[in-house]
Amino acid sequence: MGRPGPSAYHRLNPLTKATVATVTAIAAVALGGVVGPIILAAAAVLSPALVAGVLGRLARLSLLLALPIALSAFIVNLFFFPGAEQVLLRIGPITATGEGLRFAIEILVRILAISGAVTLFYLTTRAGDLTVDLERRGVSSRVAFVANASVQTVPTMVERASLITDAQRARGLDTEGSMWRRIRGVVPIVGPVILGSIAEVEERTMALEARGFTRPGRRTLLWTPADSARQAAVRWGLVVGLLALIVARVTGVFG
Amino acid sequence: MTIALDGVGYRYAGATSPALLDIDLELRDGEVVGLAGASEAGKSTLCLVVSGLAPRTVGGQIRGRITLDGEDVDAWPMHRLSQRIAIGFQNPSTQLSQVTDSVFEEVAFGPMNLALPREEVAARTWAALETLRIDALAERDPRRLSGGQQQLVAIAGLLAMRPAHLVLDEPTAQLDPAGTHLVAEAITRLARDGVSILVAEQKVDLLAAICSRVFVLDGGRVVLDGWADEVLADRRLAEFGVMELSTVQLSRAAAASGVAGDRLERALHA
Amino acid sequence: MPELAVEGLVHVYRQSAVRALDGVDLHIAAGERVALVGQNGSGKTTLVRHLNGLLRPSEGRVTVDGTDASGMTVAQLASTVGLVFQDPDRQIFAGSVRAEVEFGPRNLGRSGPDLRSAVSHALAATGVAAYERANPYDLGQSRRKLLALASVLAMRTPVLVLDEPTTGQDARGVARVRAVIGEVSSEGRTVIAISHDMRFVSEAFERVVVMRGGRVVLDGPPSLVFAVSAWDALRSTYLEPPLAAIVGDRLGLGSTPTDAALVDRLGGR
Repeated sequence: MGRPGPSAYHRLNPLTKATVATVTAIAAVALGGVVGPIILAAAAVLSPALVAGVLGRLARLSLLLALPIALSAFIVNLFFFPGAEQVLLRIGPITATGEGLRFAIEILVRILAISGAVTLFYLTTRAGDLTVDLERRGVSSRVAFVANASVQTVPTMVERASLITDAQRARGLDTEGSMWRRIRGVVPIVGPVILGSIAEVEERTMALEARGFTRPGRRTLLWTPADSARQAAVRWGLVVGLLALIVARVTGVFG
Repeated sequence: MTIALDGVGYRYAGATSPALLDIDLELRDGEVVGLAGASEAGKSTLCLVVSGLAPRTVGGQIRGRITLDGEDVDAWPMHRLSQRIAIGFQNPSTQLSQVTDSVFEEVAFGPMNLALPREEVAARTWAALETLRIDALAERDPRRLSGGQQQLVAIAGLLAMRPAHLVLDEPTAQLDPAGTHLVAEAITRLARDGVSILVAEQKVDLLAAICSRVFVLDGGRVVLDGWADEVLADRRLAEFGVMELSTVQLSRAAAASGVAGDRLERALHA
Repeated sequence: MPELAVEGLVHVYRQSAVRALDGVDLHIAAGERVALVGQNGSGKTTLVRHLNGLLRPSEGRVTVDGTDASGMTVAQLASTVGLVFQDPDRQIFAGSVRAEVEFGPRNLGRSGPDLRSAVSHALAATGVAAYERANPYDLGQSRRKLLALASVLAMRTPVLVLDEPTTGQDARGVARVRAVIGEVSSEGRTVIAISHDMRFVSEAFERVVVMRGGRVVLDGPPSLVFAVSAWDALRSTYLEPPLAAIVGDRLGLGSTPTDAALVDRLGGR
């Protein structure tokens, strides 16, 4: 219980890691140009990922996460940037422009930085650790439970969906045929996932009640993630730094 | 500690007819009492009523008296009652909190909610794990265990609440024979430790093996009750939709063909 | 009616690297009633999922009526092999019992009066016809299991595979399941069931296949599989022979896997 994380970064307090992720994500947007977000990503995403030993998984997951948005944003800006004049390439009626390309790259870099920051947090923090830490800091144990359980539900639901898909395929549902057939297959799969989950909710609630879940007040925490004055200082430092950056941008210090 | 139900009836919210009628039932320390009945006879409802979840969590209306050692528990809130009477269900995985990574944390969940001091939480958790002989599983991820093991974890989680009574609604319904065996053994051990257990089951052979008394429900009423071996050999079981004991079925088949006899009876009960 | 054959079947789950099937050879003739028994993890569930293509072999092959199943999609195999899962809540999505049962045959292309009669027959056979307009979740657990059975029955597949059909059923439910198996079998259709209810197995099936560790360890009629010589093998998979077999042995009457067999022997027949 409360297993020590495999790396120094893992062992940081969850709130610290959450602060890093949030500040990085917002700073990526606040910083101008292309170089800024890249340096930010290197410092706040890639370096910690290296220390934590999750670089490979981070790259795969964050790209997967960002891909749809990144791709569409890139294409839209490349071809449809308003008021652009420097033509790079013509494909039929649409034109890729130089200004569009520059902007598209800027957007891409930001999306990747944000996706990386979020993924780094996800890969180095267990949901239970974060919710227990928040509970220690005063969040109601029931709210913490709901937050934790919601996150943990996702893999369960995914697994359930795949079991349900098997059952429906066994009844002739075609998941290997045409796109139209596959779309029609959504209801027989999503339906039981939702209905089954709802049906379970009552029993889950009863099981929780039977174990004193609804007892008002705090509960005993057997273990909470470590924190330190230094980490708290770093957290405040990051937030202040972010605010300073935003102010500087807004007042045009960096142009 | 004795739980007593006196003339208890129960109707689900929005239902036109009652699910339970006129139930008189008593559960004493260290007893294992069985509940048999066809699929919609009211076994699950009775389990919910005894544990207090009906009407507190489930809603609906209740009549009659339920007492704990003579004291009426009508006004007791759920979290107070759950420290005396704990209930387990047939689906092992819905009983897991789903927020813990180890069996230890899972079993500790209840005592933690009770805001007991840490040492007490740990002590109760280890005691529950040891009673159910699953202390070796303490570090394992509860979601990766077999159904039988998960049921034991669920029961350990209930035990850690130190209830005087345990209500188990078809705990072996979804388990294979190995899992059923684990749970049956655990129930017997718990009873020896003084916990009283009400267990609803379809498996009458199982009930015969572990229960001292059995109640049979039909249409929400108690239609048979008494010592396990008498009730489970009653001729009327079939009409109430309850399977007969294997020994009884065999005796009956032999009698119908005229080949019954002492030799057979001795071999049946050897 | 098709024959099913499994040759040198090996299945290794990619995620966990578990070798769930370790070389299984099995031939099931058309119209046989076969029970598949063994503890959880013995490979029985993995095996039956190969019969309708939900799982594909890592090695070896599966043939349906002589044709290699790897060339057919699951949807195609579903018209030959109907598989009823253990948990009915894994498949129920329709607003009414009738609509739920229609799903399977509709996928197979049935419509009109043909569809209606297949559905009505399945509802009647499983005893849930009275609930045809009800919401499936308003039915108790036992009837929902029968509903799941009806939904595959209505597909009228030549082969019916049942995963733990009597688990969680009350006496009436078990009787229903047995009646359905009897009816399906009398039409010459093949029935394969996974079960750990030894009474059900010995009384309703003519062939029992016992699995352990991904292999078949016993294969034969109940009188062979529940004979005293096989008890050690059975017990090593946590299975108990039926009471009739145990009593028959105590009385020195040879192998008597069912009550009826024991009574016959007692009567000197």
